[in-house]
Amino acid sequence: MRSARDVVSLFNMIFSGSEASLTRASPGRASAGRKSVACAVLLVLSLSLAGCSKPRPVEFRLNTEGRDPASISPAQREAIVSMLTDLFGTPDEPRVPPGVHLDVELLRRAAGPTGRDFSGVERGLYRKHCAVCHGISGDGAGPIAAMLNPYPRDFRYGIFKYTSTVLGAKPTRQDLERTIRRGIPGTGMPSFAPLPDEDIQALIEYVKYLSIRGETELYLLRLVVDENELLPLNKESVIDEAVLPVAEAWEMPEKDPEHWVVKPQRPHLDEAQLKAAIERGRLIYQEPRSQCVKCHGPEGRGDGEQTDLYDDWNKPKKGVTDEQTRELSRWFSLPLQQLKPRNFQEGIFHGGGRPEDIYLRIYVGIKGTPMPAMGPAPGQPGILTPEEIWDLTFYVLSLARKTDPKK
Amino acid sequence: MRNELRQTRSKGVHPGGQFISRSRHRREFLKRLAALGTLLSVPRPLVSSTLLGEGAGQLGELTGRFIYVGTPPERKKLKVDKDVDCCGKYDIRDESLMVGPDGGLANVYVYLRSRGVPIPPGLAEKFPKRVTLDNRDCIFKPHCLAIWYTVQEFYIVNSDPIAQNVAFTPLGDLPANIILAPAPGERTDATWRFHRSQTEPVHIVCNYHPWESAYILPRDNPYFAISESDGTFHIPYLPPGEWEFQLWQERVRQFELPGYPRGRFTVTIKPGLNDLGTIRVSPGSLGVT
Repeated sequence: MRSARDVVSLFNMIFSGSEASLTRASPGRASAGRKSVACAVLLVLSLSLAGCSKPRPVEFRLNTEGRDPASISPAQREAIVSMLTDLFGTPDEPRVPPGVHLDVELLRRAAGPTGRDFSGVERGLYRKHCAVCHGISGDGAGPIAAMLNPYPRDFRYGIFKYTSTVLGAKPTRQDLERTIRRGIPGTGMPSFAPLPDEDIQALIEYVKYLSIRGETELYLLRLVVDENELLPLNKESVIDEAVLPVAEAWEMPEKDPEHWVVKPQRPHLDEAQLKAAIERGRLIYQEPRSQCVKCHGPEGRGDGEQTDLYDDWNKPKKGVTDEQTRELSRWFSLPLQQLKPRNFQEGIFHGGGRPEDIYLRIYVGIKGTPMPAMGPAPGQPGILTPEEIWDLTFYVLSLARKTDPKK
Repeated sequence: MRNELRQTRSKGVHPGGQFISRSRHRREFLKRLAALGTLLSVPRPLVSSTLLGEGAGQLGELTGRFIYVGTPPERKKLKVDKDVDCCGKYDIRDESLMVGPDGGLANVYVYLRSRGVPIPPGLAEKFPKRVTLDNRDCIFKPHCLAIWYTVQEFYIVNSDPIAQNVAFTPLGDLPANIILAPAPGERTDATWRFHRSQTEPVHIVCNYHPWESAYILPRDNPYFAISESDGTFHIPYLPPGEWEFQLWQERVRQFELPGYPRGRFTVTIKPGLNDLGTIRVSPGSLGVT
C-alpha cells in the first residue's frame, strides 16, 4: 500500500511539475519516503525506457545445425536470409512464394504474436500452442525442447514420422491433422483436439509452410555455403530449383493417392479368427525376414540386440568414438539423443494405438527412424503382404494388453 | 547463373514420374549446337546419329588416374556383432580408402559441376538401364555408385541369407528405408526413384548392420565417373566446351588437391581424348596421418 501511495505521489510530483506533493508527505516518513521515491523513479525510468526501445523483432533463426556458424561468411548469411525473407516473409508476416499452394489467410491466423484481431479471430496460434517446443523457426529447439525425450520435431528437414504414405513421401494433410488432434502418446506432444477446426487447419498449414521454408533453407545452405555459389542469388532459379520441387513433393500424395497413400481396411474378425490372426502374427514377428525381434526383442519389450539406434535428426551428431561425438555435437542445438524401440507391453504407441495406426506404422515405416516400411509399394514387393501386416498388428496389440510380470 | 540454374531444372523429372520439359531441354541443346557452329540445319535424327555414330569423334572423353603416394594404412577390421552366424565368417574391413596394388586410388568421384551442359540425343541408349546395389557377403557391393537418375533405375537386391536394410536420405528428396527378405526367395529386391540431382554423394546405410556403408550420387546428366581399382576414371560423350568438374572422396568429401581447390577444376574439353594424366594424392589430402 505504502509504496503504491509513494508511486502515486511521485506521479503527482512529476505531472504537476511542483514539489508540493512531496512536501505533503509526513515528516516522520520522509527518509523512507525518499528511498521509495528513488526506487519509484528507477521503476518509472526503466518502464519508460522499455516502452521507448523497440521490441526485439521475432526472427527466423538460420539453420546452422551441424556446422560451425563462423564458417558462413556475413555475405553468405545475408544472401540466404534475405532470399528466405523475400520468399517466405517473417514470423509476423508470412509470405507464400509463387507457385506454392499454401493458404495465406490460414498462415496469417497461425503466425504473428498471440491475441485476437478486431473481429475476435484468434491469431498467433503457432506461438501460443507450438513454439515453446517446436521453436519460432520450426527447428524443434524451442525453450523447453532440451527437457523432452524424444525431442520435438524439427520441421525443417521435411521428414515427419507418422504418415500413411509409402516410399518416403510427405505426410498427407490428414496425417498431420491426426498428430495434432490426437497428440503423440508417451511424448511431450499433447492432443489439441479441443481447438476449433479452423485453428487446427491453420496450424497444419503453418507446419507445412515452416517445412517448405526449412527445406529451401537447406538447399540454399548447400548452394551458397557448401557449393560457394556466386552471389547474388537469382530468385527465380531458387524458386525453380529449391522451392517448387519441395512444394510438389507435398502435393504428390494429394494428387495421386492411389500411388502414395495406404488406406487401412481393417478385416472384421470374430474371436476365433482373431486368435488365429494373433498366432500367425506371432510367427511372423519371430521370423528372420521381418526383423522385428532385432530391435523390439523376443517378447516385444523393446529390448532387442540392436541398441545403438538414432533417428535422422540425431545421426549426424554420432561419431564412432565418444570424443568424435562430443566434437560433432558442438554444432547442434540439442545433445545427442538415443532412440528406444517401442516396448509393446507398455501399450503406449506414439503413432496411435488403434489397429489402423499400428498397421500403418508397420506398412509404411516410421520416417526418419530405423523402423523400415514392410508393406508393398510401387517398385517394391515389400517384405510382408497387407494380410500379414494385419496379423502382425493384432499380435502387437495382444502384447500391449498383457500385464508385464516385471512391473 | 540464371540461365544455367534454370536449365538444370528443365531436365528434371516430375515427381509423378513423367519427364517434364523435354522439348525445352532439346531446344537448349539445339541452341548450344548452334553456338558451336555445327549441324543446326540438320534434321534431328541425323543429329543423334552424327553425334553418336560415325561422328562420335566430335565428343570428348575425360580421363585420368589417381595414384596414392606412399603406403596406405591397413584397412581396419570392422566390428561385426550382428547376425554373426552369417556375417562373422567374412573378413569385413573399412572401405573408406581403397588403394590398389600399384597405388591406384579407387572410389574417387569425378563429376560435372557446370550446369546446363547439353546431352546428345540417343545417349541414354548407351547406358545400362539400371544401376544395381547388391547386399552380398554382409556388405554393400559396390561401395560407390552414381546414377543418371532421369534415365537409369536404381535397383537394390539382397543376395545374403539374412534380411537386409537399405536406408538413405538425399537432401530435398524422399528418404528411403527399405527392407529386403533373406535370399534365396521372393521379396529380395526393390527399385527406388530419385527426384532430384544431388551435389554430393548420398550415404547409404543398413540399420541392421551398422558396419555396412555405401554411397550413391544421383545426377540429371551422365557426366560422372568413379575411379576404378587401378585409379583410372573415364567420362565419355562430353560435348566440347569449357566445363567445371568436382572431385569427391568419402573421407574428405570435396577432395582438395594441389591445383584442385575445393576439389574443383575446369577443363576445356576437345573432341577425342582429354587426359588429365596422373593425379598424385598425398596421404594428408585424405586425412591420413
